[in-house]
Amino acid sequence: MLLLAHIKKELLLLSRDRGGLLVLFVMPMLLVLVLSLIQDDVFRATGETTTRALFVNLDQGALGAEFAAKIKDSGAIELVAAVAGESLDSELAREKVLTGDYQFAIVVPEQFSAEINAAAESSVRAALRNEEATPASSRLQLYFDPTVRGVYRSAVNNALQRGLLGLEISRKSELFGRLLQEELQKNIDTQFGGYGGDAGSGLLPELSSDWGEQSLIELQEESASPEKYATLPTSVQQNVPAWTLFGMFFIVIPLAGTLIRERQEGTLTRLMTMPISSSSLLLGKVFAYVVVCLVQFGLMLLVGRFILPLLGTPVLELGTAPVALLVVAVSAALAACGYGILVGVLARSYDQASTFGSVSVVIAAALGGVMVPVYVMPRAMQDLSVISPLSWGLDAFLDIFVRDGNLTTVLPYIAALLGFFLLCSFVAALVFRRFRRGV
Amino acid sequence: MTQSTPNPILSIDSLSKLYPGCEHPAVDGLSVAVERGSIFGLLGPNGAGKTTTISILCTLLRPTSGAVTVLGHDVVRQADVVRRGIGLVPQEIALYPSLTARENLRYFARVLKLPKQKIEQRLNECLDLVGLLDCADQRIETYSGGMKRRANLAVGVLHKPEILFLDEPTVGIDAQSRNLILERLAELNRAGMTLVYTTHYMEEAQQLCDEIAIIDTGRVIARGAPTQLVADAADCENLEDLFLALTGKQLRD
Repeated sequence: MLLLAHIKKELLLLSRDRGGLLVLFVMPMLLVLVLSLIQDDVFRATGETTTRALFVNLDQGALGAEFAAKIKDSGAIELVAAVAGESLDSELAREKVLTGDYQFAIVVPEQFSAEINAAAESSVRAALRNEEATPASSRLQLYFDPTVRGVYRSAVNNALQRGLLGLEISRKSELFGRLLQEELQKNIDTQFGGYGGDAGSGLLPELSSDWGEQSLIELQEESASPEKYATLPTSVQQNVPAWTLFGMFFIVIPLAGTLIRERQEGTLTRLMTMPISSSSLLLGKVFAYVVVCLVQFGLMLLVGRFILPLLGTPVLELGTAPVALLVVAVSAALAACGYGILVGVLARSYDQASTFGSVSVVIAAALGGVMVPVYVMPRAMQDLSVISPLSWGLDAFLDIFVRDGNLTTVLPYIAALLGFFLLCSFVAALVFRRFRRGV
Repeated sequence: MTQSTPNPILSIDSLSKLYPGCEHPAVDGLSVAVERGSIFGLLGPNGAGKTTTISILCTLLRPTSGAVTVLGHDVVRQADVVRRGIGLVPQEIALYPSLTARENLRYFARVLKLPKQKIEQRLNECLDLVGLLDCADQRIETYSGGMKRRANLAVGVLHKPEILFLDEPTVGIDAQSRNLILERLAELNRAGMTLVYTTHYMEEAQQLCDEIAIIDTGRVIARGAPTQLVADAADCENLEDLFLALTGKQLRD
């Protein structure tokens, strides 16, 4: 009952502080909203979604369209041939890239088919005659936004090179079948004069051109640590729980602040002369702020589920284990509040608590994969990330959201979060008791 | 000194307190006993050791040496038992500014484990005692200095403690509020509550206290009934004259 009195008092104090409520609920929601939208682009750039590029086909032959089909089949780049119903020319496409509407534009020149055919014929014929070939190659124009990161650009370049290589091999294979017959007949005519007839045409079977494109080696792609990163999250699945945890851990500052304010105002002194246990006083604060954290958590899930999709991100998929989700949220809230109480007990002033609290949470968030997903961190930092409570929370959420996790699979993370809460609370209680006993 | 008090509610024997890092003790061999049902004034200039002594008596600080019993219990070893029988009106307005007076009192009443069914009745009694019943549902932050001091007193007496410690309860308030507080303190004392009281206002101590101890540099330099002490001192017309004669006129910061 005494615990309830403390919880009720804390919630009453919070409800009277409109600025504080704004900071506690609206700011984390804005944080999730803004950072999820910003980082959505990073996820797109790191391969979560296909790249979109403008495609201008000026080719008078068939190879421009064939090239587009190959690129489309590869799934690496989505080609946009018209913007708002308006077909594109080279200048307009370049302008769209320059204004930042698109990152890439591919322009297939008018003589693309003719030039490739001519170059392929020259190349194959030279090979059959054992001569040195100097084919005049065609050019495919690629415009890119200068702000596009190098990795992103080289990924697009590679996709285009693969498409062009496929096209070249297909043309060369086709020409090889035809020119081999021609060259063979020419050799027969040269060696046998008019006696050879058209013997060359019957000597070779008709060649298919498909063999050039058939791949002989399959590239098998597998994550080095399949357990952990078998399925990667969408931007929303990564960002919403990540920034939600960040917001929850920022509870450290107001929570530590209540303890410091009570010390400064003298109410703590008064409470210390009353027959109450230190633990009930501290736990009252912890549980009141756990309620706050859970409300924050609920609001931020709503943002991910209903508001972010309106702004163009994928919908937040919550997985199939709501109980596990709730238990992880409660454990993370307890961990955050336990840390807040510890900071509040150790700090001598509000400035100390707010500076130390915020910096330590930002460091833990960075290590825990909130700002940059752990799987793209350097190996050493990935190893270090396991010390961050935010990493435990985030891994548990991702397990539930992405990998169909349940209470059993996230149990180690829950245990770690609760262990952290117990450790912080124990140390805080020790320090607080010492403070209460007087120096 | 303790021998002259037949029924002490509080007994201090050779109390010393040396804060870590300080050269001189804040309290230095202090010995005092307070008679049950009396009003005892602890007077002294700034830095004399009044607040340190009150803090030790209220179990907020541990003494460096000496023995202190309140209600017959040792304040260090039996702190929990002592806490059940004492009340404190601290120097600060130890209330939550954004809560109303009633909400503050209700919270402290629950902390003090008052029976649930009697809480509202007791809140009204205490608010009435300090003249705040009509504005009990206003937030503390909207109160004047005098109203805050009165609310501070109301919390101190919520659980009807046997002994009430008051650390400068009338500092910085208007004459009306001070008068009301002093009247109520006398009333509480008549009802059987022992008061231990620190103040800088000598006329207040002379008016209210049955016995006073003037302390300086952590030691008792005079002790007795205020009127007797003044009568015994040559060239002193009142307690303030005596106080200045004993503690000197140099400034204390």
